[in-house]
Amino acid sequence: MNFSLSLPALLAIPMVGVLLIALGSRPKTTALWVSVLNLIPGFLASGMVLRSGEILFGPEPIPVREVFPAKFILGMDGLSLSLVWLTLIVTLTAIGTGREGIKREKEYYICLLLIGLGALGAFLSVDLFYFFSFHEVALIPTFLLVGMWGHGDRSGAAWRMTVYLMLGSMVLLVGMIGLFLALPEAARSLDWRVLSESLKANPLSPGIQHVVAALLLVGFGTLVSLVPFHSWAPGGYASAPAPAAMLHAGVLKKFGLYGLLRVALPMVPDGWKEISWLVGLLLAGNILYLGLASLQQRDFRWLLGFSSAMHMGTVFLGLISGTVLGLAGALTLMVGHGLSAALGFAVAGEISRRTGTSWMRDLGGLARRAPQLWFYLMIAAMASIGLPGLANFAGEIMIFFGSWTAHPVLVGVAAWGVVLSAVATLRAVNAMAFGPMSPAVEAEGVTDLKGMRETWPFAVLTIALLLIGVMPLLVYGPARPVLERLSQP
Amino acid sequence: MSSWFFPEILLTLAGVGLVLMDALAPENIRRRIPLFALLASLGILVWSLVPASRVLPTSWLNLFVSDGLSAVFKPFFLLCLVVVTIMACRYRLGADETVRGEFLALPFFPTAGLCLLASARDFLAVFVALEMVSISLYLLAAFHRAKPASLEAGIKLLVMGGLSTGFLVMGIAWLYAGAGTTDFSRLLLTQAGQGANPAVLVAAGLILAGIGFKVAAVPFHAWAPDVYEGAPTPVTAFLAVASKAAGFILLIRVFGLGAFALESIGTYFRPILLTTGIATVTLGTLAALPQRDLKRLLAYSGIAHAGFMILALGTEGEGGIGTVVAYLWAYLLASLPVFLFINELEYLHGSTDMRHLDGLGRREPGPSLGFTLCLLSMAGLPPLAGFPVKLAVLANLWDAGETPALVVAVIMAVAGLGIYLTPIRVMYWEREADFIPARRFPPFLIWVMLVAGFLGVGLGLKPQWLARVAEKSLNPLPVVESIRE
Repeated sequence: MNFSLSLPALLAIPMVGVLLIALGSRPKTTALWVSVLNLIPGFLASGMVLRSGEILFGPEPIPVREVFPAKFILGMDGLSLSLVWLTLIVTLTAIGTGREGIKREKEYYICLLLIGLGALGAFLSVDLFYFFSFHEVALIPTFLLVGMWGHGDRSGAAWRMTVYLMLGSMVLLVGMIGLFLALPEAARSLDWRVLSESLKANPLSPGIQHVVAALLLVGFGTLVSLVPFHSWAPGGYASAPAPAAMLHAGVLKKFGLYGLLRVALPMVPDGWKEISWLVGLLLAGNILYLGLASLQQRDFRWLLGFSSAMHMGTVFLGLISGTVLGLAGALTLMVGHGLSAALGFAVAGEISRRTGTSWMRDLGGLARRAPQLWFYLMIAAMASIGLPGLANFAGEIMIFFGSWTAHPVLVGVAAWGVVLSAVATLRAVNAMAFGPMSPAVEAEGVTDLKGMRETWPFAVLTIALLLIGVMPLLVYGPARPVLERLSQP
Repeated sequence: MSSWFFPEILLTLAGVGLVLMDALAPENIRRRIPLFALLASLGILVWSLVPASRVLPTSWLNLFVSDGLSAVFKPFFLLCLVVVTIMACRYRLGADETVRGEFLALPFFPTAGLCLLASARDFLAVFVALEMVSISLYLLAAFHRAKPASLEAGIKLLVMGGLSTGFLVMGIAWLYAGAGTTDFSRLLLTQAGQGANPAVLVAAGLILAGIGFKVAAVPFHAWAPDVYEGAPTPVTAFLAVASKAAGFILLIRVFGLGAFALESIGTYFRPILLTTGIATVTLGTLAALPQRDLKRLLAYSGIAHAGFMILALGTEGEGGIGTVVAYLWAYLLASLPVFLFINELEYLHGSTDMRHLDGLGRREPGPSLGFTLCLLSMAGLPPLAGFPVKLAVLANLWDAGETPALVVAVIMAVAGLGIYLTPIRVMYWEREADFIPARRFPPFLIWVMLVAGFLGVGLGLKPQWLARVAEKSLNPLPVVESIRE
């Protein structure tokens, strides 16, 4: 049996789900089944990747020169493996936490499935054209999700988010155009495997590397909410409905980091090294500025938004470390943060749905009223602080060790960031969980999570966090050959 | 020779036939004129797609040429005619209902003119073809005699079209005075290897201004919004798609491939084209953002698209030309369904204000989805047909090293998202409209819009098709070539 068909199946199954929902089958049930079903090709493909290191689907390369050299090739290697799994798990749990009977349910679940589909497509694409296109597929569903089902200033948040993401994408597109056109005519290709190989053999001139690396940094950086291009993120996540925030903060944001690992690091290595001082400066801004800003938040969702944007700084530190350990840490933290952010937004969504508020001072006494919810809140908080045993710690510690020789000062900054994050998060947990019971929590009808039907998405995320926290090898092990190639000078 | 002009001849015959039928035929046949018009336009489109069976001369009397560009654009105009005919069948003429036959017959004549224009290789032929287009369009724009806005549109188009023709004729005169010929290829021969002749430079400037009116480029754009808004919607569609494309074919022929692309003249005009492009794309995008009337919005968005295409033309080489061709096709495939949708909206509500879209996504999910996809394609969002062509514009600008133009194009592509997201937002976010018409969209619209939307997705995922069209258009002798294969 040809297992490479499992790659298109990963994309076709959500598409079928979208179609079924559009034609009138029950939205939540269908979306859920589709996401569960999608785990099967996920398993098959990962099995192949673990055995042979890589799996490809697509037309054989033809030597004929096309005017437009894009080819629809899907591929999966150790690096995309963990991100594909992150997408599968977060999509499943996001749909699991989605509400039934919400207004315009059909469109809601179609949008969620499309975001997951876009992310999967981007992580699976070998061709840069499709890599970019698939990411953009998620843009409009996000706009609609935030705008139609969001809270607070949803219209403003939706516009800000969309325009920022579009701007980032366009800058990144220009960067990729520059990269492509800088190649000699014969070597032009959009396949990142071919590109990485040929650029390793014949690197571009330093001048163009510099420009391209800077454009890619700004473009991908905007998508990852790197300071000073971050201002869409906290408000956008605060306004988004919980499943959308889970998918976007958990998965889609990782597209930018994945892009840097796939495009910037292997293709313009010298340019990337040249601008690593700038990256360092910006990531320090992420950690310190957003960390301080998160201390000031009074709304739990805003706090999550800020802290999720803040942790991206630490991942960037891993990306400029230049060591396998640092890169492995970055990858682990990407996955860990994806899971913990998803858990955090899921809990925040449940809390505000039950109590009608996400203001922290109105949520005192939650621990007594809803102990299960409180438990998962604590898991998300501890993961985000970096408690050993949870995935984020594994990632952070590898990043710190990996970048100590190259950037000791930044490691200090990042460590300080851990403190800031701990203060902000613990204060929030303290205000929300303990103390006298506030009227919003005491109100009738506020219930805890009930039974497996409501708990399972939280449990799945928690188990994944614990599993990776104990065995980070699960994430960086398969990716190791890729990361080793990246860190070679 | 007759097979040479078959679309033009057939179009003219069909137009004349429809007019005669409208005037002379008995009532029971007259009622079927919409059907005949539709069949005629479809038939000509299908016939034009069948490859020619025998070798045709590549040039006729040195006035017309049969090359890749004309082969690619004749079906373009004919497709446009088909959609315009469908729209004209469904357009409410109110008190003028008795003259629907003429309303259906008239678009055949400008289409014939456009097909001639696509293969013109001499400024004299260009002029005749353009007049054939313009005069019918003046009539069509003012066709809704009971509506003051339509009359205003007709007058504006007449005055501005006259002005544009004036520029063009003046330019042709200067050209003849300076170069002694109006034939494109002879012009290229005489001007090649020479320094720029001042008379030819003046001529090129005047001709550029004349074409600028046609494509609604800044600073000759002011007529477009009012005319688009006032003219009957089918005519607006024709103006926005076919008439604009005609301007670009001329630009390609003279400024892209022809004499004005020569180094001696191009050095003066490439910066002018780029500046015009920057101004056009900026003005079009920014002015479209606050519009509340869909036709006005599309007028400004059309200006912005013209800007992108002019920017692509402003770069040297064949890449820019191919980009414009592909861009025009992507623009056609997205904007014709959009106009069709707006026409139906007007049929139900009597106006094209955006408030009629309120909550439409819930009432009419199918057409709304297709409309959304077409708008997103116009916004240049992947995976839709508008993306690869916008990508090609940006790539051309980068390749030519035109950084300021590139920066403006990127910013305006982002800002442009706002134009197209506004109707989408209205359709899906807003509450149900206050007034809901009892009638719904006709079933054919659902299918047309869905097919158009998913065609856009298909082309966005498989941009090679658009690229192949662009490549074909650059082929100097497609007819002979296809025989040999």
